[in-house]
Amino acid sequence: MPVPDTLRVIDFGRADALRSQTLWHAVAHGVSAGEPPTLSFVRPAEPYVCIGYHRRLEEVDLDVCRARGLPVLRRMVGGGPVYLDDGQLFFQIALPVAAVSPNRARALRELLAPAVEAFRSVGIPAQLDTDLELVVGDQKVCGHGAGQIEDAVVVVGNLIETFDHDTAAAVLAVPRPEARVELERLMRRYVVATPGDADAFRDAATRAYATGLGLRPARGSLSAFERERLSELDRQFGDPEWVRGPERPAPDVWQAKVRAGVWVLAAEHAGTAVVAGVARGRIEHAVVTDADLNGATPGVEQALVGRRLDDVASVLGDFGAPGERIAAALARADGSRL
Amino acid sequence: MSSETTPTVEVQGYELALDRGYEPATHIWALVVSPDRVRLGMDPLGVETGGALAQLALVPVGTDVRRGEPLGSVEAEKFVGPLRAPISGTVVAQNSAAVADPGLVHRDPLGAGWLVDLAPSDLDAERALLIEGAEQVVPWFEHKIAEYRLKGVLAE
Repeated sequence: MPVPDTLRVIDFGRADALRSQTLWHAVAHGVSAGEPPTLSFVRPAEPYVCIGYHRRLEEVDLDVCRARGLPVLRRMVGGGPVYLDDGQLFFQIALPVAAVSPNRARALRELLAPAVEAFRSVGIPAQLDTDLELVVGDQKVCGHGAGQIEDAVVVVGNLIETFDHDTAAAVLAVPRPEARVELERLMRRYVVATPGDADAFRDAATRAYATGLGLRPARGSLSAFERERLSELDRQFGDPEWVRGPERPAPDVWQAKVRAGVWVLAAEHAGTAVVAGVARGRIEHAVVTDADLNGATPGVEQALVGRRLDDVASVLGDFGAPGERIAAALARADGSRL
Repeated sequence: MSSETTPTVEVQGYELALDRGYEPATHIWALVVSPDRVRLGMDPLGVETGGALAQLALVPVGTDVRRGEPLGSVEAEKFVGPLRAPISGTVVAQNSAAVADPGLVHRDPLGAGWLVDLAPSDLDAERALLIEGAEQVVPWFEHKIAEYRLKGVLAE
C-alpha cells in the first residue's frame, strides 16, 4: 500500500485519563481505515495507571490506586504497568502496517529514531541503546510501547518532564515490602526525568517524523469515523472486563521491570525469601530472609552482589542449607518475559 | 523440531515441514490433523521477524474465528501484534504450554510450539489459499527470504 505524502499532526492538548488513551487508539483505527500516517500528542490532565495489553491486572496494587484516586486503564500496546501524570507529554506515531518493517525490532528502531532526534533538538542527549530503550547514559528517559491495531502500527513514547518515582513504585503490586523499596531504588537510579521545552519537543518531533518518513506535516483533527470509534473505545476502555483482561498464567516468580535489563525479583523456596535487584544480568542488591542464617545474612547478601543469576551456586555453597534454599529460589527467576 | 516422521525441507537454514500449508501473508501454518481438526502455528520466518516472544495470548476454546481474524496475539520488544487465522473454525484446543512459556514457539515453531487446534468450518476452500508441497513452499520461502534480506528485515 503506498504511503500518502501527508503526515497528519494532531495535538490533543490535555485530556482526562480515559481520553488520553482512547484518542490515539481511535487514530490508529483511523489510520488502519485509510487516514494518513499520524503523529499525535497528548498530556494526561490527571494521574492514572495504565497496564500493557498482555499483562495481568494483579501486577497493579489496586488498593493503592483506589486510595490515591488513580484510575486504572488497559492499553492495546505492549509493556508493563506504568504510572502517568501531567508531567509526561505523550507522542504517538501511527502508520499503515504495510509501511512498517515486519521485523519488530527494526520497526521499533526506525520509528523511535525520529524521537531520539527530537530529544536531541531540545538539548537532551538521548540515544537508542541496544535494548531499544531511549536513554541518556544508562538511564531511561522515555517509556515506549508499540502495537498493531487492526492494520495500523502505533508506537507510543513520552517526554518525561517530571517523574514521581515514589508513586510509580507504589502502584505496583509487590509480594514483600523489600521489593517495593528495591523497585523505587532502581527507578531512581535508572529512570530519569529530562525537563525539556515541551512545545519545542513537539515541533522537533513533528519535523523529525516528517523528515524520517518523507512526508509533509499538516495539522489535522479526528475524522468522523475516528470520532465514532472514539466513543466505542471510551466504552470499551471503561469496561471493567476490558481492564481486567483475559486470564493469564501467574509467573513462578514475582518480577517487575524498571527498564530493559534492569528488574526486581522476589522469590521464595522452603521458607527462604530473596528480593534482588538485577541489572545487566547481575545482582545489584539483595535482601535475604532465612531463619537459619542467624548473623550470616549480611554476608550472604553481600556475596550475591555482582553475581549472575545462573552463577550464584558457587558463592552460596559456603552458607549450607540456607544457601541451597536461596539458590533454589533464585533458580526459578527468568527476566526474559518482562 | 517437527517429529522424525514429518517430511521436511531446509530452505537457506530454515526447516519447513511439508505436511502442512503456509499462509504467506501472516506466516501461520495449518496442519490437517484429522478431517475435523486443524492445528495452527507460526512458521520460522514469522518467529524470527517477530523477535523473542515475551507474551502469547490465545482466544479461548469455543471461540469461532474466521480466516483473517485474530486467534491471539504476541508481544516482543513491548510490541503487540495479532496472530491471524489462516483457516476459519472453532477453537477446540489451545497450547497452554506455549502460553505459559512463549519461548517454546521460538524453540520449536513447527512442533511443540503450536498455537491452537481448530474444528474447521470451510477447510477445502480455505486450504486452497495456502501454500503447500515442496514445489510451492520452497520457491515461496526462498523468495520471501530474499525479499526480507533486501529490505533489511533479516540479517544477511
